[in-house]
Amino acid sequence: MSGIIKSEPFVINIGPQHPSTHGVFRIKATVDGEKVIDAEMVMGYLHRSMEKLAEERTYTQNIPFTDRTDYLSSMSNNLGYCLAVEKLAGIEVPPRGNAIRVIMAELQRLASHCMAVGAFANDTGAWQTPVMWAFREREKILDIFEVTSGARLTCNYMRIGGVAFDLRPEFEPMVRRVLREFPPFIDEMEGLLSGNEIFIARTRGVGVLSPEMAINSSLSGPMLRGSGIAWDIRKADPYCGYEQYDFDIPIGYNGDSYDRFIVRLEEMRQSLKIIQQALDGLPGGPFRTEVPLALRPPKGEAYARIESPRGELGYYLVSDESPAPYRFHIRPPSFINLSALKEMTVGGTVADAIVVLGSIDIVVGEIDR
Amino acid sequence: MTRELTGSEAAALAEALVPGSVARTSETACYLKPEMLVETLRALRDDPAANLVHLTNLCGVDYWDHFEVVYHIQSFEKNHLACFKVEAWGREKPEVPSVTPVYHGAWMQECEAYDLFGIRFTGHPNLYRILLWEGYPGWPLRKDFLAMPGGLQPGLGEFAGVARRQEPPVKVVE
Repeated sequence: MSGIIKSEPFVINIGPQHPSTHGVFRIKATVDGEKVIDAEMVMGYLHRSMEKLAEERTYTQNIPFTDRTDYLSSMSNNLGYCLAVEKLAGIEVPPRGNAIRVIMAELQRLASHCMAVGAFANDTGAWQTPVMWAFREREKILDIFEVTSGARLTCNYMRIGGVAFDLRPEFEPMVRRVLREFPPFIDEMEGLLSGNEIFIARTRGVGVLSPEMAINSSLSGPMLRGSGIAWDIRKADPYCGYEQYDFDIPIGYNGDSYDRFIVRLEEMRQSLKIIQQALDGLPGGPFRTEVPLALRPPKGEAYARIESPRGELGYYLVSDESPAPYRFHIRPPSFINLSALKEMTVGGTVADAIVVLGSIDIVVGEIDR
Repeated sequence: MTRELTGSEAAALAEALVPGSVARTSETACYLKPEMLVETLRALRDDPAANLVHLTNLCGVDYWDHFEVVYHIQSFEKNHLACFKVEAWGREKPEVPSVTPVYHGAWMQECEAYDLFGIRFTGHPNLYRILLWEGYPGWPLRKDFLAMPGGLQPGLGEFAGVARRQEPPVKVVE
């Protein structure tokens, strides 16, 4: 015996059923000892072929499908789809409808980032406390959605040409309460995690993405901003009147998991700022343009995008003048943000791979569609 | 506001860098010749005036007699968005060159287009069925999918998009 311990690469499956994959998603990691030397993604467990189903339904009937892609931010998904149809058919939305859309989209961003931040803390080992605090705050926002649209998770609230219902009288006090109670929560979360030694050790320098790599890999949203690129579609290509509101784009400098976490925390503060302004200046008037149920947009194509909590959410629609879209394509931010997963995980440990996946903030319903 | 380049503006950018790369233009998109696609997109990415660095969206569309692959590419500095297209003819084995060497982010989206349309991207480092499993019969997003052998379930034929071609405004499905 030579006394040398022989080792060979070993394949471990992270997922499909694993708390850190946030759904049914699998990473086939080839490890050498504790080091990941290759990572392959296996997805499609939740594939429902929404793009095919949508080709057989009218434009209005497709709105509930969009709820079920990214189920943690259904309002943003509704909004992106409705904007694409409005662009295709040339429909104007009244100012009140736009302001309600902005408030809802920003509330949804808060709720979604609560989930992202809480679950990320869970992945790094801050077991349960942060995620419960985050759920406590998210609950208040879901209550607002329930009062307004009747549903908490799959809201189906946006309509082509505006929103489904006008706001109820309870709406404003409930949002004011969120505006009052949210900043202390963000400070609390920041105090709990961002200076925590263990948290920093687990996230600093883990899953580093250079700005060049981030751009070349088509990333968007907090992933891109964490790498130091100040690109936000709400600023660069304003929709729904975002140009009226004053807010900043938070960016990171190192492009690691810690920066992406900090960017999300700071984005919540900016969202609160936008909600405050939109609520103070909420215009009166109609909240929806009347649009025929079997809408037949003119022949053509449109690509509309919004800044969803996870990044650039785009809808590419092709119309052949029939009441159903000829082609319905979703540009899912979670799916495309995974294209650099291998580059971020290879070279790190298995435990780091979990942190990286948590920092991407994937929603598997959107990856598989 | 992001300026969306019209087809002729995008064609002018491409034509200035790689002469003879544009096949034709439409109102919104510029159709590139497949054999010069990679070269053209690389030139557009590296040129400071075009600066098309971020491939936002890549998807396939089935037009019955040909497939189109749509590329939405944007510039952060110039804040513009261009739409390029490539056509692939033939339903048996449509082929389009892969742009993964230029835009790394294209690899997953090309896998998806291959998985759902059966468009083969030549030069792709690892083209596999990303959402469905190997051996899945047919390509689900093609318009004739439900009429294909193995794709048709009894009773589902009514839903097939096949009818759409013969009688264009389709009846609304209740």
